[in-house]
Amino acid sequence: MKKVMIGNHAVSWGVLRSRVEVISAYPITPQTQIVEALSDMVADGSLPARYIKVESEHSAMAACIGASIVGTRTFTATSSQGLALMHEMLHWAAGGRHPVVMANVNRAMAPGWNIWTDQNDSLSQRDTGWIQLYCETNQEVFDTTIQAFKLAEKVDLPVMLLLDAFFLSHTSEPVDVTEQEDVDRFLPRREAVYKMDTKDPHAFGALVRPDAYTEIRWQQQEAMHEARDVFRRVEDDWEAITGRRYGAVEAYRTEDADLLLVTSGTITSTARHVVDERRAGGDKVGLIKVKMFRPFPTDELRALLGGVDRVAVLDRNISPGHGGIFAEEIRSALYDVPPEDRPILFGYVLGLGGRDVTPTVIDDIIDNTRTKARPEREDLWVGVEL
Amino acid sequence: MSERDLTRPHETGRRIPPVAISETSTLVNQTGSWKYIMPRYQDGVAPCNAGCPVGIDIEGYMYLIGQGRLQDAADLLIRENPMPAVTGRVCHHPCEDSCNRASLDEAVAIHSVERRLGDMILAAPPPPAPERTRTETVAVIGSGPAGLSCACFLARFGYGVTVFEAAPEAGGMLRLGIPEYRLPRAILDRQIERIEAEGIEIRISTRIGTDVPWAVLDGFDAVFVAPGAHMGKDSRIEGAEGVPEIRPGLEFLKEVNAGGRPELGDHVIVVGGGNTAMDCARSALRLGADVTVLYRRTPREMPAIPQEARETKEEGVKFEFLAAPTAVEMEDGEFVGITCQRMELGPPDDSGRRRPVPIEGDVFSMKADTVLTAIGEDCDLSFLPDEVRTNWGLVEVEALGESTSAPVFAGGDAVDLPRSVADALGAGKRAAIGIDHYLRKEAGEDVGEVPLDDLRFAGGNVSAMRYAKDEDPIPREAPVNDVVTWDQMNPHHYRSVPRHEDHFHAGIDLRSAFGETNFGLSQKEAIEEAERCLNCGVCNRCELCLIFCPDMAISRREDGGFEIDMRYCKGCGLCAAECPRGAIVMTREGM
Repeated sequence: MKKVMIGNHAVSWGVLRSRVEVISAYPITPQTQIVEALSDMVADGSLPARYIKVESEHSAMAACIGASIVGTRTFTATSSQGLALMHEMLHWAAGGRHPVVMANVNRAMAPGWNIWTDQNDSLSQRDTGWIQLYCETNQEVFDTTIQAFKLAEKVDLPVMLLLDAFFLSHTSEPVDVTEQEDVDRFLPRREAVYKMDTKDPHAFGALVRPDAYTEIRWQQQEAMHEARDVFRRVEDDWEAITGRRYGAVEAYRTEDADLLLVTSGTITSTARHVVDERRAGGDKVGLIKVKMFRPFPTDELRALLGGVDRVAVLDRNISPGHGGIFAEEIRSALYDVPPEDRPILFGYVLGLGGRDVTPTVIDDIIDNTRTKARPEREDLWVGVEL
Repeated sequence: MSERDLTRPHETGRRIPPVAISETSTLVNQTGSWKYIMPRYQDGVAPCNAGCPVGIDIEGYMYLIGQGRLQDAADLLIRENPMPAVTGRVCHHPCEDSCNRASLDEAVAIHSVERRLGDMILAAPPPPAPERTRTETVAVIGSGPAGLSCACFLARFGYGVTVFEAAPEAGGMLRLGIPEYRLPRAILDRQIERIEAEGIEIRISTRIGTDVPWAVLDGFDAVFVAPGAHMGKDSRIEGAEGVPEIRPGLEFLKEVNAGGRPELGDHVIVVGGGNTAMDCARSALRLGADVTVLYRRTPREMPAIPQEARETKEEGVKFEFLAAPTAVEMEDGEFVGITCQRMELGPPDDSGRRRPVPIEGDVFSMKADTVLTAIGEDCDLSFLPDEVRTNWGLVEVEALGESTSAPVFAGGDAVDLPRSVADALGAGKRAAIGIDHYLRKEAGEDVGEVPLDDLRFAGGNVSAMRYAKDEDPIPREAPVNDVVTWDQMNPHHYRSVPRHEDHFHAGIDLRSAFGETNFGLSQKEAIEEAERCLNCGVCNRCELCLIFCPDMAISRREDGGFEIDMRYCKGCGLCAAECPRGAIVMTREGM
């Protein structure tokens, strides 16, 4: 069934198809439509779930964790400041190994007050232990929402799926909504191993002393590592049913390329267009789309970027005092590539607070990357006008 | 250097779960040892119960309706109030004035629910008369609400009761003073029949001191005096004496209520601002007159029930405030109207209301064909023996109606009480308790003092069930006699639900209608209204405490109540804070 829908509703439909049992959320622009549609589905009975109203995002995540502890499939959605307010609970969800799924609409952090897209909200939560999956299209949003539950429940880790404010959240595209019985085959009911049982009560999030804390963290990290393989298998299963897969990392027209762009989110679509035009003109430019940010697809990126002359990473985010966050992570990943295969990496910072990243901008970046011998600094800011 | 590879995990046989979950059951961690205060379920008194002069467990019957136990609710009601179909219609419902729900949205329409239950009771055959367990007999003078209440409770306590009524029909002021459009006679008749069925005898047309001497009461072991207040106060209008167009309003009402339709002429002035004045005005309106109420103060000071005053105005009666009649105006020997003095409000008088003061020189005339005076009524107590002391025209009584001369008790309008049906019913019940206690004492039983405070719902009323130690159909948790106020409750679990208002006549000519104007609520609406009750101060098994207890220390008992496992309750107080009804208190007791 194909439907034209905004990205936010692609999330809602994904949640509906995933037969989520508990939803708790607090509204925030530009996320609100996700939970508005879900509350309608719960109210009219099409989604037999419990919708818990709360007074803050911190409570929303706390409610999801509680619901997850008793073994239910839980979902929430937020954005920007709301995600920041959840911060403490994000650690609780991940450290407690609760497979909560959350959609975060990427929106710039205030101040200055801004409702448009960039990735600093979710990347600020990098070390909370959540799997992060960045989406490019509404179809990918729908698919990833359903995949996220399977992935989360296989490795007992929470998953955050990301979509750009307005460029996806409020933009309509046709979405092939997978039929319920097909989704049911892909995603069975959750079977929780550790769940609350009042007949045999245990404390969750209990005190762990120095003699065991490291071991708990080790297992959490092992689960993160395992998630890379699990995601691959989840995509295999989904592809078998729908014919669609995205990959933790996607290589687009990288054959013989001497320069690779690296993008995430909706900038990818613009970059695809530029790459197509350049290729038509004989320019050997390719594109790497990074969907999975945590766990970081280190091996794939090394394999794809190693041996290429130049790499231009486009970061719609900034780690103040360092550089674009994807660029820094990739630079770090490439350190172990043999020196002769190590590309020259240009880290561009652009599109913050929703500023447009047009084909012209990407064209200029390609030219700049080709013409400069080396980057003058680790963070190359695009289009700053003072 | 160690032989082990530093950065590889080693299998040592430790079993560390992937989740930070306690190895042992949390039952070993008896968090109850942390507490320094502890919660206790403690049922308080809902303010409606405290505010009811009759002493009805209003919150109790609302709870039973909420549990779907309509018949049990009706039973509980009639055990404390022998005439709910009457009070549901004519009581000024102070219960609603004290209802905590008014702080949330609007008070529960208690009177509408009571009326519905009252009508339900009347529709069913009366239960068998209570067993006569006492040899003593009691005489009751007056079959108004005070007399019938006292008689009914005495019969339930096992006494033989005879009621003496001066009028040809029972009911007292309910029949003589309250117009039919407020209290249909069929309802009143059936209510009285039901009370008679409890085993009391009513002797009509028997006025003590006139038809039979006081001495006839010597054959009884106790007497309850409730003759009512039937003498209209002097209007003090100059020249009114001997003018038939100036009539006491109560006399007019009695005539109309007995079926008379006196000629009043086109213009009628009613003097006064109380309920009798409103009844006169609306009755005169129904006889086709153009009616003006003359009141010497302002609407704020009117003693009439606000709803009565509102309905009077809505029906088309005009009001002239800050004016008092001073003299009759005659033309050629014919009555044409009255001279009125314009007043203004001065400093407050003893009643706390601002005293009306004449504005010198500001007088005016009002045309009238009839003037009905309704400025209050006095009691005719001339039949009482001297030993029964009176004061300012009222019988002096103690808390349970004891006069200065045993075994005479008194109540209703003849004692110092607000003149309302509810206060009369309450006085009758208190006197029945007083008489029972007196007679048992006389019979040599060791009865001690009446534990008045234990019988009260915190207010000045008493519960007959508590006195008789009847079984309470509602389980109570450690009940205390304190009113639960809104600030002791948790409003956050309630949502606003609009109050069901009574259905009134629409679109018929009121002027020709002595039929009932208020149709009350449907059964469905009344149940919904009862479900608006917040059960202030009383556990209604909502289970929020159970849900909120972070230690899962609260569980259900078999009887539907809850118990707290003190081994695990750490005294956090969440249950008490969340309880919407204020039915859980934190205490140091027992620690």
